[in-house]
Amino acid sequence: MASPAARMDLGDIQGDILRAYGNDYDCTTYAFVTIECPPEQARAWFSGLLDHVTTAAPWSAGEKPLTTLNVSVTAAGLRALGVSDKVVDSFSREFREGMSSRAALLGDVGPSDPRSWDPGLGTGDAHVLLTINAQQTPDHQRALGKMRDAMDEAGGIRIVFQEDTELLPGSREHFGYADGFAQPAIEGSSDDKARGGGVPLKDGGWRPLAPGEFILGYPDEDTRVDPKRRLPNAPAAPLARSGTYMVWRKLYQDVALWRRVIRDAAKVYEGGDEHALSAKVVGRWANGAPLVKHPDEAPADFDPRTPGGNDFRYDKDIDGMRCPLGSHIRRSNPRDALGFEGHLSFRHRMIRRGMPYGTELPEGATADDGTDRGLVFVSFQGSISRQFEGVQVQWLNAGNIFGLGHDKDFLLGDPHGTGKMTIQGRPPFFLAPQEVFVRTRGGEYLFVPGMTALAALADGTAG
Amino acid sequence: MASSNVSGQAYAFMAMTPVMPGNEQPLAEYLRGLRGRGPSPLAKLPRTHLARFVIVPDFHHDPTWKQPKEDHLDLNYLIFTSNFDGGLDSYLDELCEQLAPEAKEIWGRCVGCPESARGAALKAYLKHNQIDTGMFFAAYGHATVGMVKKALREREQTIAFAIRAQGMDPETLQQAFLAEFGGAK
Repeated sequence: MASPAARMDLGDIQGDILRAYGNDYDCTTYAFVTIECPPEQARAWFSGLLDHVTTAAPWSAGEKPLTTLNVSVTAAGLRALGVSDKVVDSFSREFREGMSSRAALLGDVGPSDPRSWDPGLGTGDAHVLLTINAQQTPDHQRALGKMRDAMDEAGGIRIVFQEDTELLPGSREHFGYADGFAQPAIEGSSDDKARGGGVPLKDGGWRPLAPGEFILGYPDEDTRVDPKRRLPNAPAAPLARSGTYMVWRKLYQDVALWRRVIRDAAKVYEGGDEHALSAKVVGRWANGAPLVKHPDEAPADFDPRTPGGNDFRYDKDIDGMRCPLGSHIRRSNPRDALGFEGHLSFRHRMIRRGMPYGTELPEGATADDGTDRGLVFVSFQGSISRQFEGVQVQWLNAGNIFGLGHDKDFLLGDPHGTGKMTIQGRPPFFLAPQEVFVRTRGGEYLFVPGMTALAALADGTAG
Repeated sequence: MASSNVSGQAYAFMAMTPVMPGNEQPLAEYLRGLRGRGPSPLAKLPRTHLARFVIVPDFHHDPTWKQPKEDHLDLNYLIFTSNFDGGLDSYLDELCEQLAPEAKEIWGRCVGCPESARGAALKAYLKHNQIDTGMFFAAYGHATVGMVKKALREREQTIAFAIRAQGMDPETLQQAFLAEFGGAK
């Protein structure tokens, strides 16, 4: 049987999904656009974008574009482009309802309540998201300028929300942690990352995940075991093939609060210090070294991108003495920790492509400076409810499956102020819940069409 | 009464009643409206561990399941389930008394419900429409609501103390422990 790689049509899938564009792109702008003109006019503007959309087809040496463009749409956006109700109804329920309608489920309450979100997000006004990556600022400004000119020319199309982001030194996020390197290994695309990124097998090996877990129109993990080889649920043709669902969330990070809480708690953390304590909360040292392999100190030369850097499992740390049971990475990707040969965790993986935003809080500062800074979280998955929401609701905002009662992920905070974090040890150490370190400032559920689907949307033949 | 309704000292009750045609929307709106109006009326029944109202408008038909034929319900159905402490009869007596105002708006919209929607008549109606539980998993089959709530309070108190006590020297710790828990039985 031909491998999925031979069959995956990379030219039809948008870029930055299967393989990251890479750290050469320092700047990313996310521009949410609203359509205030008739669908035919909107589609004319939309058609103009298509020639500039970057695909998953590999670049030859020297061909790396200065800027890239990718396009995704909300349910409201599909309607604004003239897609019929019948076709929109074929998309998943959570996509159609939108992220802000599902705030209670996601734990976006209190300071993360949609009523406090940045203007333009979660209101139904966001129709199309243009994601522009650029290697350097002048190219970035040129690309943004062209984008705005095209909208002005079309008329009735304007930006309702824009976030400009930039990589931080060392590919860190604002709490100081190396981020983004642990990604799922996908059969036919990133098989080389299977060790640590795939499904842990009983014999100690790993295997990559089926592509349909992330790209619609391809076999997923269910297809593997289905005698009829049915493909996963997907929207009506021609929109599904080569597409994926996207989650976009702007997460404010209260860096000053995080530093103060860790500093104060570390004073009574026996035998430990601030770095060790914060590593216990996250599950990794700041340079990305996993606690389960390096429980006592971070290896100075650890590079998470080297092959095998992400190769670890929890079978030798069942009681959490090395990596706490409730630590962030153990919650967000339990690997083999839930037993049953990884079967309770392998259907909940996400491709993550987020970017930090806002300037850094100077090192050592523990007073807030009023700057809006944090992480734009972006994930791609075949099912928003099974993959993104499953992790958010069952693993981050609850502790039951880990035997932790109602303790929630300490890093993401707990607006209800209940529960705690236990750092397993002799003796155990406890962290009291705080005001939230991370607040949702806005978000949307989107669909990233394949190239053929984009063309169908543009010429009004999507149904 | 089937013994499958019982687990330890807890009982699992379910009644399914058809909704009178024309009452589907008012019933749904009434039940939804209960959310925003303060504590649930079910809180008036302190023996209740977990209870809920569910409206079943129709069977779900999903085109991807490739079912040989579609089945449809003639009427909407209201399902009431409750897991509670102790026996069914005394619980229903409490329910039919305490929830009389709400019962008129809820079961009063169902086929066959007695005009008064309260007391012995309502109790008989609910028992008539009872569906026995097939399998009852009770997480704390021997713990009453009171025992569970007390345990939760003690857990929170212990957590708060454990966090506060970190870093205390032994003598201070002992004094603090006795001050916090010394009176506990």
